[in-house]
Amino acid sequence: MSEVKIEKLCKSYGPIDVLKDIDLTVEDGSFVVLVGPSGCGKSTLLRSIAGLEPVTSGTINIGGKQVNDLPPAQREIAMVFQSYALYPHKNVYDNMAFGLKFARTPKAEIDQRVSEAARILQLEPLLKRRPRELSGGQRQRVAIGRAIVRKPQVFLFDEPLSNLDAALRINTRVEIAKLHRLLKATIVYVTHDQVEAMTLADKIVVMNAGRVEQTGRPLDLYYRPANKFVAGFIGSPAMNFIDATVAKKDYLEFGSGVNLSLPLPKSCKVGERVTLGIRPEHIQFGARAKIQLDGKIDIIERLGEIGYAHVALPNGQTIVAQVNGEPNVGNGQTVSLALSSQQIHIFGEDGTTLTA
Amino acid sequence: MNVRKHASAFAVHAVLLAYTALALAPIILVIMNSFKERKAIFGSPLKPPSPSTFSLIGYDKVFGDSSIASYYINSITVTGGTIFFTLLFGSMAAWALAEYKFRWNTLLAIFLSIGIMVPIRLGSVALIQLIAQLNLINTLTALILVYVAQNIPLAVFILSEFIGQIPKDLREAARCDGLSEYNIFFHIILPLLRPAMATVAVFTMIPVWNDLWFPLLLAPAGGKQTITLGIQQFLGQYITDWNSVLSALSTAIIPVLILYVIFSRQLIRGLTSGAVK
Amino acid sequence: MAKETDASLMGMSRANYMRLLAFFLAPAVIVYSVFSIYPLLATIFNSLYLRQTDGSYIFNGVGNFGTLLTDTTWSVSFWNAMKNNFIFFLIHMCVQNPIGIALAALLSLPQLKFRAAYRTLIFMPTMLSVVIIGFTWQLILSPLWGISKMLLQSVGLGALFAPWLGQESTALITVSLISVWQFVGIPMILIYTALLAIPDELVDAATVDGLNQFQTFFFVKLPLIIPAIGLVSVLTFVNNFNAFDLIYAMKGALAGPNYSSDIMGTLFYRTFFGNQLQLGDASMGSTIATMMFLIILVGVMVYLFVIQRRIQRYSF
Repeated sequence: MSEVKIEKLCKSYGPIDVLKDIDLTVEDGSFVVLVGPSGCGKSTLLRSIAGLEPVTSGTINIGGKQVNDLPPAQREIAMVFQSYALYPHKNVYDNMAFGLKFARTPKAEIDQRVSEAARILQLEPLLKRRPRELSGGQRQRVAIGRAIVRKPQVFLFDEPLSNLDAALRINTRVEIAKLHRLLKATIVYVTHDQVEAMTLADKIVVMNAGRVEQTGRPLDLYYRPANKFVAGFIGSPAMNFIDATVAKKDYLEFGSGVNLSLPLPKSCKVGERVTLGIRPEHIQFGARAKIQLDGKIDIIERLGEIGYAHVALPNGQTIVAQVNGEPNVGNGQTVSLALSSQQIHIFGEDGTTLTA
Repeated sequence: MNVRKHASAFAVHAVLLAYTALALAPIILVIMNSFKERKAIFGSPLKPPSPSTFSLIGYDKVFGDSSIASYYINSITVTGGTIFFTLLFGSMAAWALAEYKFRWNTLLAIFLSIGIMVPIRLGSVALIQLIAQLNLINTLTALILVYVAQNIPLAVFILSEFIGQIPKDLREAARCDGLSEYNIFFHIILPLLRPAMATVAVFTMIPVWNDLWFPLLLAPAGGKQTITLGIQQFLGQYITDWNSVLSALSTAIIPVLILYVIFSRQLIRGLTSGAVK
Repeated sequence: MAKETDASLMGMSRANYMRLLAFFLAPAVIVYSVFSIYPLLATIFNSLYLRQTDGSYIFNGVGNFGTLLTDTTWSVSFWNAMKNNFIFFLIHMCVQNPIGIALAALLSLPQLKFRAAYRTLIFMPTMLSVVIIGFTWQLILSPLWGISKMLLQSVGLGALFAPWLGQESTALITVSLISVWQFVGIPMILIYTALLAIPDELVDAATVDGLNQFQTFFFVKLPLIIPAIGLVSVLTFVNNFNAFDLIYAMKGALAGPNYSSDIMGTLFYRTFFGNQLQLGDASMGSTIATMMFLIILVGVMVYLFVIQRRIQRYSF
């Protein structure tokens, strides 16, 4: 059992609260991604699990044992750092063996564990090299190898792909996913990249300003964001938000004569200010539909298979709509955008999602 | 774990405090006793001056009997002049070496860097003969010339590293705007060099102010002594007059300490900025 | 360094370009050549000439060096100064630099309070003139004032007190330790800078690997600051073999008692300027200066071509 259970975790630096009342469970063998904008506290949370940051209050359990007062080395965790943090003066073998030597692991076992990790990560021909003789991707694999040989209960990854170039990043992402399956490891992974989060995670934890905004499976967050922050953070390009007023039952006014008649959640009161959210990929272009907005195309960005049209509504707001193929539309043209009622999200004034 | 952590933090502070005390005690002792009468200096040297033991008799002697004030002015002139010309000549040379291509560029850079490692002091025999031939013995000019020569190598080294970090685009934009090379240097580069110049100034100032060797060789008399030499001569003369000796030492220490406390941040930042690798 | 620009790019004539270069380079090069390089070369040149009794000089090849190294009039003081200078250097290497490294290690500990204050205060003696420091310690160690004796007695070690500066057996060690006390700030700051350059994540990685702070220092940080230690060592060497002020200030040109604190710098000064016991001799003074030059040159060369080449440099 290598479950991580965090309860009521708080951390403050003087008057600044970096983590506020975090509750989180990482099930045995699951891949949990902490995601959020920079400064949201995700790295601090990871480092608190590792024991590199003292916490102010709350508990951290790893494998059923409270570890609050244990130093990092005794928490049965292994960490992969953003800069890899390989020891520059040690070769690949010694980098992986270093921690084991200090744990007084017998030489034969060190050898066996390092060669096992080297085999999994295809590092065998590089064992005698120094870190500076390795490419970025190779260093990354050594950093992962150093974690594997510890046979930890939990792997902690701190933005491990952020120092790699775009092509290598996608490659390594796939490698990490495979590795997770192979090792059946429990992983807590920090990133600011929502694509990494979506593709890797069993469970995503979206953080903002020291709080957990929502926890859930990737597609749950995508389809059922709990609030406007999560809705805007997950998905690329970001969800469109249009401010509106509930003029009467099931009727929204956007200003300048732009109105929509659509089924609204029951909790919407007449006169309430709300925000309508719709993802670019959920906007049908040009089709006639029950829920429809008209606007003028400012510009189309064509990416090949798809494109994104920036459409100005008469009230001055711009919304982005995905264009499939090469429809016969161009800049300056007036178009109709069809919204499907299942894909529309309505957020209250405080940002929470209003549900039926 | 918390207890252990506190204990180790305590041990660290204990060691650092002890060393700090060791570093400061002699200085404090001298300053403290310089304000006491002779009997108290010997009777209770570890006690700070009290109304009954307070005395300025040593200071009276230092400022009355000798030309301490003019030695201060000499030191300020020499140090200031050295810093000014070191920065001016050093930055001009650093600019030319970093910016312009010419056949002897690398060789000249190596030639200038000899002085970083080889102390000019070793050339003293010939230097004193040269200064004598130029009729500059017992002048501040001689000291300034020698100190500028001594400090140019490090100045060129630090400043050209720094010039290398100024984006090339900036100079090219200035060229496109039609500035002459002279104007590019004096109006664009020089103002940008300020932080590096501060570092160089500090590295230049301390050894020049504190130097004993060249004042002793080149300007040992004629009222052209620097404060360091002046104090040394004064101390030699009054070695048995403890009030005067302690006051003379304090007179030399206190202004440096005040300047140091004011500028220590910049100084340490300069030292730790990695300018000297 | 940025790539240099040449004349053709600036649309200048060759003469104008030369004028430009001369304008920027001439002041520095002239002052430096005349007042630094020329005296050095002239001194080496002087060392090849011998002063005659009538005051004229004749060419003597490396004869002066033979005299210095083997003729007992000179060689006794030369080898004495040489030996003392090596002791002076060794004391700095074995006391000043380890203390500097230890202080730097403590100062670079994470979350240390009053870091800036400690750094500033410990560096303070380095700022003061050697003359001041020398006299200050002379007073403190003086049996007349008795302050050292009093301090030792207060911790029950009064019997240990001796006029250290006045005894032949202890004068050199005492002066060396005073110099160590003054200059410990320099290795401290240079090593501290090197320690700051080590990324925090590397220290975190060592923590996760189970190393305590001492182990992290010895097995991770220390190997990474060896280049800085090499630099500190060569700076110590150059400064020590060029030292003069402290011994002159404390013991005078005769570096007493009985030359027991004589080092190359004081021997050079005495030889060149003369003293109560001998006349000044520019030839032999130049010869000693040239020897010092050669010693320093050897030290710097060893550093550049042996030590620095073997040292692994790490970029993080």
